[in-house]
Amino acid sequence: MSQGLRSIQLLPDAELLKVMEDFWDGATLNVARKAYSGKDVKELGIRFLLYGAMAEIFARTTGFNKGLGGSMHTFFTPFGIYPNNAIVGGSGSIAVGAALYKKVNRKKGIVVANLGDGAMARGPVLEGMTFASMDQFNTLWEGDMKGGLPVLFNVMDNQYAMGGQTKGETMGYTFPARLGAGFKADAMNAERVDGYNPLAVIDAFERKKAYLLEKKGPALLDVVTYRYSGHSPSDQSSYRTKEEIAAWEKEDCIVAFGEKLKAAGLVSQADLDAIRADVDANIFECYKLAIDFDLSPRMDLVGKDELLGDMMFSNQSVDSMSDAKPEVLMPLEENPRVKQIAGKERFYLDKDGKPVSKMKVYNIKDGLFEAIVDRFYKDASLVAYGEENREWGGAFAVYRGLTEALPYHRLFNSPIAEAAIIGTAIGYAMCGGRVIPEIMYCDFLGCCGDEIFNQLPKWQAMSGNILKMPVVVRVSVGSKYGAQHSQDWTSLCTHIPGLKVCFPATPYDAKGLMNSALQGTDPVIFFESQRIYDKGEMFHQGGVPEGYYEIPIGEPDIKREGKDITFLSIGATLYRALEAADLLKEKYGMEAEVIDARSLVPFRYEKVLASVKKTGRIIIAGDACARGSYLNDLAANITEMAFDDLDAAPVVLGSRNWITPCHELEESFFPQPSWFLDAINEKIVPLKDYVPTSNQTSAQQVIRAARGV
Amino acid sequence: MPRQGQSVESCIVTEFKKKVGDKVAVGDVLFSYETDKASFDEESKVEGTVLACFYSENDEIPCLSNVMVIGEPGESFEEFAPAASAAPETPAEAGPAPSAEVNVVEAAPETVAAAVVPGAPVSPRARKLAKEKGLDPGQVAGSGPHGRVIARDIEAAQGAPLSGLARAMAAAGGLQAPSSGSGPAGMVKGSDLKEWTPVTSGISGEGEDFVVEKMSNMRKLIAKSMYNSLQNSAQLTHMLGADARTIQALRKKAKKALEEGRIDANITINDFVCYAVIKALQKFPKVNSHCLGDSMRIFNTVNLGCAVDTERGLMVPCIPHAEKLDIIALSKALKKVADDCKKGSINPDLLSSEAASFTVSNLGGFGVEWFTPVINLPQSGILGVGTIVPRPKAIDGGMAFVPYLGLSLTYDHRALDGGEATRFLKQVAVEIETLDVEF
Repeated sequence: MSQGLRSIQLLPDAELLKVMEDFWDGATLNVARKAYSGKDVKELGIRFLLYGAMAEIFARTTGFNKGLGGSMHTFFTPFGIYPNNAIVGGSGSIAVGAALYKKVNRKKGIVVANLGDGAMARGPVLEGMTFASMDQFNTLWEGDMKGGLPVLFNVMDNQYAMGGQTKGETMGYTFPARLGAGFKADAMNAERVDGYNPLAVIDAFERKKAYLLEKKGPALLDVVTYRYSGHSPSDQSSYRTKEEIAAWEKEDCIVAFGEKLKAAGLVSQADLDAIRADVDANIFECYKLAIDFDLSPRMDLVGKDELLGDMMFSNQSVDSMSDAKPEVLMPLEENPRVKQIAGKERFYLDKDGKPVSKMKVYNIKDGLFEAIVDRFYKDASLVAYGEENREWGGAFAVYRGLTEALPYHRLFNSPIAEAAIIGTAIGYAMCGGRVIPEIMYCDFLGCCGDEIFNQLPKWQAMSGNILKMPVVVRVSVGSKYGAQHSQDWTSLCTHIPGLKVCFPATPYDAKGLMNSALQGTDPVIFFESQRIYDKGEMFHQGGVPEGYYEIPIGEPDIKREGKDITFLSIGATLYRALEAADLLKEKYGMEAEVIDARSLVPFRYEKVLASVKKTGRIIIAGDACARGSYLNDLAANITEMAFDDLDAAPVVLGSRNWITPCHELEESFFPQPSWFLDAINEKIVPLKDYVPTSNQTSAQQVIRAARGV
Repeated sequence: MPRQGQSVESCIVTEFKKKVGDKVAVGDVLFSYETDKASFDEESKVEGTVLACFYSENDEIPCLSNVMVIGEPGESFEEFAPAASAAPETPAEAGPAPSAEVNVVEAAPETVAAAVVPGAPVSPRARKLAKEKGLDPGQVAGSGPHGRVIARDIEAAQGAPLSGLARAMAAAGGLQAPSSGSGPAGMVKGSDLKEWTPVTSGISGEGEDFVVEKMSNMRKLIAKSMYNSLQNSAQLTHMLGADARTIQALRKKAKKALEEGRIDANITINDFVCYAVIKALQKFPKVNSHCLGDSMRIFNTVNLGCAVDTERGLMVPCIPHAEKLDIIALSKALKKVADDCKKGSINPDLLSSEAASFTVSNLGGFGVEWFTPVINLPQSGILGVGTIVPRPKAIDGGMAFVPYLGLSLTYDHRALDGGEATRFLKQVAVEIETLDVEF
């Protein structure tokens, strides 16, 4: 609210009026006007701010976010107010990303992250502080980029978290300000200030702002205050006495400041009463307007049942999120990687039809690189970072060549802090930039659960489509590294509304899908498999095109045609499906049609249904653990949509519901070519004289389910 | 060539810094090489002279194979040459080809079903296929997992051939064919077809005043199609009499010609009427049409449908390209399709209501003067031909009785308006009254 009032104060009347008139085509302003008949634009601005926030709180279409943000997330970016977060501490890393955006894109001003003392326990806050305090801003970033991030962690130290008391019960820091010492040599210039004294707070903010503008950030401010009401409606305040509350109320900052103004002879009690009455009346008027169903309707999801669905993705196609000239260190054609790729074969067979050697074949890494480097040269806002991005092209060499091409501020190593990697990317995109954060191993998605579950996918719709989220999260799926480095979590991501999910398995698809992901404005979880980074292009005739092309996210691809059964595979499983198809043809004369899903969300079923109409049989295979996987989702939908075409129920081949065992035992865990034949024989059509190698019977399914494995 | 990491199988030499004959000291860079991830320099670990170099720049060299030999001039080095088997071009694993050209196994390797098992499960696809083919999946042996009847079993089970009528009836749905029929060589005839699902209605048995008989399948088909016609079109009938003196004279002439052996067809009144109708249809192409709801299919040929009463019920075979036939050929064609219908050997394609562009139904033989025939959808019209009765007609200022043929045209008002229908009907009458054919 204070940021909004300050913006109203600073904006010239004409600009302020234009912001209000343009917003939702004047729908919000038109109602807000009913609370004010005067001619003062600033006064109108105050009604607009109050009404827009209240309509949002009551989930009305005239609210700042069409009522989709709701009571816990009211914000209005034209006034510089960014989302409130209903996850305690959820903005701790997002705010740092906003500061990164300001810095990299040379935008004026500072970022203030408002937190409570309870939020100081939260991972995103601690990881955000870690990220914001990185030495490299001062030691490695060059020129005008040198220097700290302009972000202030503004802690409202109101003594309580939820039911817990931060001092003396749930925390051990004594004062939040002490945390600063853990992150930065100058203790983040941490300061503890009397929050009941407005002038002291103003002074402190001026000091912090000056510090941040000197590029010394981040900074930490510990504002001592108190909460009169509890954390939530169910909070009974049983953890404190009435006397305690009364004692604080006696010192109430608004009353006390009024007294000071009176003592200084600046106002009379009548003046203060008049201000109070005016504020009360404004709030009451705006409140009445916000609950009026005729003036402030809710979204009609009964009459227009796809309305919200249409808001989940922005689906835009944007070459560059910035008007600036991209900062690069060399012409692209001089890049060593580009030169290296130029000497490679872009199809897996040479002109004589012989397989090209692994070192000389254009592979998936090259496809990803070409798409990414192309975007770096097109979009000045694009940055990429992760735990090992700047050195040797990253853990899997996808970025080899980028180091030479890009200054530090566009490609850098992050701390080992997944929540900060994704959280900052969200903040960066929220402010208008495009970003590629990297999660080095799919398993680590768990470390940024809140960011992937609750933040990244939600803000486009929660903002009423005001915000865009052009974040392409590269996630590498491991293998050969056991239980915590070889898991496929694609299904988890498909379960989360608001994420696009793709998993290419060929160089042609990797480049085309990455181009699409980077051209779009939506969050994309972009899975890559470490099993197949070296694969050459085996399917696209003529090899991988050198120029730019897009493969629409959501379109599966038929990799091999067949008439007897359909295999639908996700990710690297494609190659095992093809091996199974070879076996099936060789030994049993059956021709499998092999379809590569390529994308999981969105997903167009047309080709799959047409294939099932032809073959009547389908196996859906992927490396995710079978239970609760997206494979089952595909199977259920295919069953519903193609029931009368099916000659057997769709069969799902996922990984076992175990830990991933060591490399040498992986064949017992991940779907193998032989499993396809076993499943066909057991569940689809018996194969002549067949001896199964794995147990695919329903009886075994029952037993395993009963055991929970 | 050192191995840089466990997954690296080969490296590419980017530059040789020393040539054969060069002296090298410990620590001198011999060559630079790179993996897919990074570049490295290989330093000499011994002092001496480069005696041999087995590769050229940009060669891909398997890890742990010899690249150079360093020693004293004169020493042998051939024994260090990498074996031919470790040739630099180590192909990457080829992987499965996108379009496998593996040795093709002869067809029909899938196992065959053993026996019919009552109550065996049937896959949805097999069920659908069986319905299309008019088969009872319960009579088919299942070869799927655990005895399930799957699509291939239905395909294999269509052994017993269906007669044309049976095929046509089965295709219309609601009927199933037994595994073998009562026709020659087990051919399934129309009368062999059974109901698809058991009758569940409670109406059965006999009462004092009535007997309940199940409708024959043929009856049900007719019922369905007639009901469908009246439900789904806008039908009305115009009636008009035609002076029949001309065709009566022609009939007399034809009879005589047949008796005298000049022609080999018994040309009936109906044949002459049909001949006249064909002529009229060619002048009114919009009547010679199908009404498809939102569009019209206008024919440039006359495919004449002709209602035939058989023991099994009404059948309407079609004579394609009837306009190309002279009166004798038409007469023969009409007789042939009628006979084929009565024998049950009619080609089912000719029975489809889509086959004919217009239909003639003649009840004159039974003395019916006028009636309201029901259109065979999607055709736009049907002409009912009644009996010939004498009617008074003003002739030469007096009255005389003249034989009149009753014509009843039912048309689909969606396709035609009354004016056009009337003009067509009048044209039919004119053609009948002025018919002039040679035979």
